[in-house]
Amino acid sequence: MTRLDRRTLLRAAAAAGALNVAWPLSAGLSPAQAREAAEALGADYDPAPFTLGVASGDPQPTSVLLWTRLAPEPLAAEQRLPEVVEVEWTVALDRSLRRVVAGGTAPASATLGHSVHVPVSGLRPGTRYWYAFKALGRTSRIGRTTTAPVGRVGRVRFAAANCQAFHDGFYAAHRGIAGEDVDFVVHLGDYIYEHGQVGGVPAEHVRDHEGPSVFTVADYRRRHALYKGDASLRAAHAAHPWFLTWDDHEVVNDYSGTGGGAPFMQRRAAAYQAWYENMPHRDSSAFALPDPEIHRVRRWGDLLELTVLDLRSYRSAQNIEGGSILGAEQKSWLRQGIDRAPDSWHVWANSIMLSQLRGRPGGSYMFTDQWDGFLSERKEVLGHVHSSGLEDLVVVTGDWHSAFVDDIRTDFDDPSSPLVGTEFTAHSVTSGAYSADWNEANGPLMGAANPHLKYFEGNRYGYDVYEVTPERFSAHMRVIGDRRDAASPVTTLTTFHVDRGRAGSYEDPATEDSPAQYRRDQGK
Amino acid sequence: MNLVVNGDAESGPGGSAEPVGSVTGWVVAQGAPALVGYDVGGGYPTAADPGPARRGSRFFSGGNSPRTALVQNIALPTAGPTGRAAVDAGQVRYTLTAWLGGYAAQEDGARLSVEFRDIAGTPVALSVLGPVGAAERGARTGLLKRTASAAVPPGSRTARLLLVFTRSGGGTSNDGYADAVTLSLTTTGGRK
Repeated sequence: MTRLDRRTLLRAAAAAGALNVAWPLSAGLSPAQAREAAEALGADYDPAPFTLGVASGDPQPTSVLLWTRLAPEPLAAEQRLPEVVEVEWTVALDRSLRRVVAGGTAPASATLGHSVHVPVSGLRPGTRYWYAFKALGRTSRIGRTTTAPVGRVGRVRFAAANCQAFHDGFYAAHRGIAGEDVDFVVHLGDYIYEHGQVGGVPAEHVRDHEGPSVFTVADYRRRHALYKGDASLRAAHAAHPWFLTWDDHEVVNDYSGTGGGAPFMQRRAAAYQAWYENMPHRDSSAFALPDPEIHRVRRWGDLLELTVLDLRSYRSAQNIEGGSILGAEQKSWLRQGIDRAPDSWHVWANSIMLSQLRGRPGGSYMFTDQWDGFLSERKEVLGHVHSSGLEDLVVVTGDWHSAFVDDIRTDFDDPSSPLVGTEFTAHSVTSGAYSADWNEANGPLMGAANPHLKYFEGNRYGYDVYEVTPERFSAHMRVIGDRRDAASPVTTLTTFHVDRGRAGSYEDPATEDSPAQYRRDQGK
Repeated sequence: MNLVVNGDAESGPGGSAEPVGSVTGWVVAQGAPALVGYDVGGGYPTAADPGPARRGSRFFSGGNSPRTALVQNIALPTAGPTGRAAVDAGQVRYTLTAWLGGYAAQEDGARLSVEFRDIAGTPVALSVLGPVGAAERGARTGLLKRTASAAVPPGSRTARLLLVFTRSGGGTSNDGYADAVTLSLTTTGGRK
C-alpha cells in the first residue's frame, strides 16, 4: 500500500472540509491501514507485539505489578495472535537486565485482550528495578519501577496527572513526568474519552479520535490503544510505577455506576474490562472482573499514607436525599481508615473536586457531579476527619481542567468551621479548559463566592509534582508551554506548601507573582 | 461436566419472590437474591415464557435490592483429562453458559462472568455474559441463552463466577433473572 504522509492527509482533509475523510477507520480502512494512517497523523507505537509499551503499578514494599499487552495491530478489534500467548518477564537490579532477581511466564489470553498483569513478589523495599517482557520472539522496551520503602522515610516525590483528551493536544506533560525524579505517579482519571470524533483538525485540534463513540469491549480496547499511541504516555508508564483511579470518561460522561439499565451495564462492563486490560492495575482478590476494585490504602514508609478513592463505581445519582459518591461500603472503609490512620501525611487520590465551588456569590454550585452533589456525605466524611483528629490531610484532585488550591473545611458555608486539610486540583494534561476570557472574568467571582478557595489558574496545562518531607508538603504546578507541541518544555508555574501539623497552605514567595486568575492572599 | 453448584437455583431456600438469606453453593456478596418459582406468576417468568427447555422449578432473581451479587469460587480439577497437567499444557477449554433475562420492557438485568485465576489469584481469563436488555428480549419477559467459550490459560487454578443483578429506575423489585448457569471444561486432546 502506498504510504500515507501526514501532510498529504491533512491537506486532503482540509480540502474535503473534514478530517474524518482521512482519519483511520472512518474511511473503512483495514486495521493495518488504520494504524498507518494514525501514525501518519501523529500517533506512533513501540515495535510489535509490544506496541502499547510496558508499565508498572501499585508498588508495595516487596511487590509491584508489571503490565503489558500484546497488540501487533493496536487499532484492530481482534489481534491475529494465538488464543493464549506465553509471555516471559524479567526483573533486574540494573537497566541492562543482567542482575536478574525475578522472572517467569504469564499467559496472555485473548479474553483479556492479550494483556498480562504480573504481581512480582519477593522484592526489596525502597529499591529501583528494571523489567522487560518477551513474547513471540520479540522483546519489549525496558521499564523502570520502584518498590515502596518501609520504616523511616525522609522524602517522597510523586506526580499527579489527569484528563488527557487525545484530540486536545500532545502529551508533553507526560513527557515531563517521564523525566521527573519521582517515586510514583498517580493518575486521577479521564485517561481516555469515550466520545466520537471532534473534527476541526488541524485548525482546532491536533489530532482526533479514531472513530465514533465507544460501547463494546473491542471499541474501548481500540480507544485505549489509540491513546497509548502517544510516545510520551508510554514513556511515563515505563519510567515510574503508577497508582490509578478513574473518573467518568473511562466509561461515559457524568455516569453513576449504579442504577443504569441493561444496555448501560453492558457498556460499563465493557469499559471496565478494557480499562483493566490496558492498565497496570493490581486487582483485589476480594471481588472479580469485570468490576475491578480500585480503592485501596498504600504506605510510603512512615511518611505518607495514600488513599485511592473510587468515586464512580458505587455512586448514586447526584442531588438526592441520602445520595452517596462513595457507596456505603467504601464510605465505611474510608471512615475506618481515618480511625486507624498512622501519624503521617495523608493523601487522598480523589478524581473529582471535594471542595465546594459556587460560580459566583449567592450562586449555585457549578457542578453537582463533583462532591457538591453529595452534600450530606461530604459533611459526614469531613466531620469524621475532624472528630477523629486526623491531621496533615492533602487531597489531590483532577477533572476540572484547571488548577485550584482550596482549604478543606468541615462546613464550606462557614469560614469559621474547622480547617482540616488542603485540596490541590491539578491542571489537565491536555483536556480543554475554559477560555482565557472566561477564566479572567470568573476567577474573581469564584474567589468571592468561595472563601475557602485560595488560588485558581485555568489558562495552562500540565501536572503536579508533590514533594513530601516529614516537615512539609509542597505542590509544584508544572505547566507546558503549548499543547500543540509534543516536546513543549515544562516549567514550574508556582508552588504551594503545607507545613506538618498546621492545616492550611501558603504560596511560595518566589512564585507568588506568577500569573493566575485568582489568588486570595493578594486579594485579586 | 458442569462445575457450578446450584447453577439452576433448584437447591436450598427459596421458591417465592421473597429474598433468601443464603443460597446453596453461592456467597451472597451484595444485596438480597430470590430464588423464584416458575409458578409464582404475578409477572415473573413462567413455564410458558422464553427460557431453558428444562428449566426445573426455580430461577434466580435480584430480589429487592438495587444490586445483588452472588459469587461462587470453583477449584479446577487437579487430575484427569481436564486437570492441572492438561491445563498447563494448553489442552483445556471452558464453556460458560447461562440463561439471562428480565421483565417486559424494563431494563433490569442479570450478568454472569467467569474469571480464571492463577495460583496467586491473578486474573488470566475472563468471559462476560449479558446483561440481556429489553430490546434483545423483544420487550418480553423471559430469559435468553448466552454462552462463551475460550481456552483455559496455563497456570489457571481456580474460577470465580460473579452473577450480578441490577435494577434500573424505581420500584423495589430487582427483575434481573438467571437460570441454568453452567461452566464446563473440555480437553482438546493435545491440540493447542
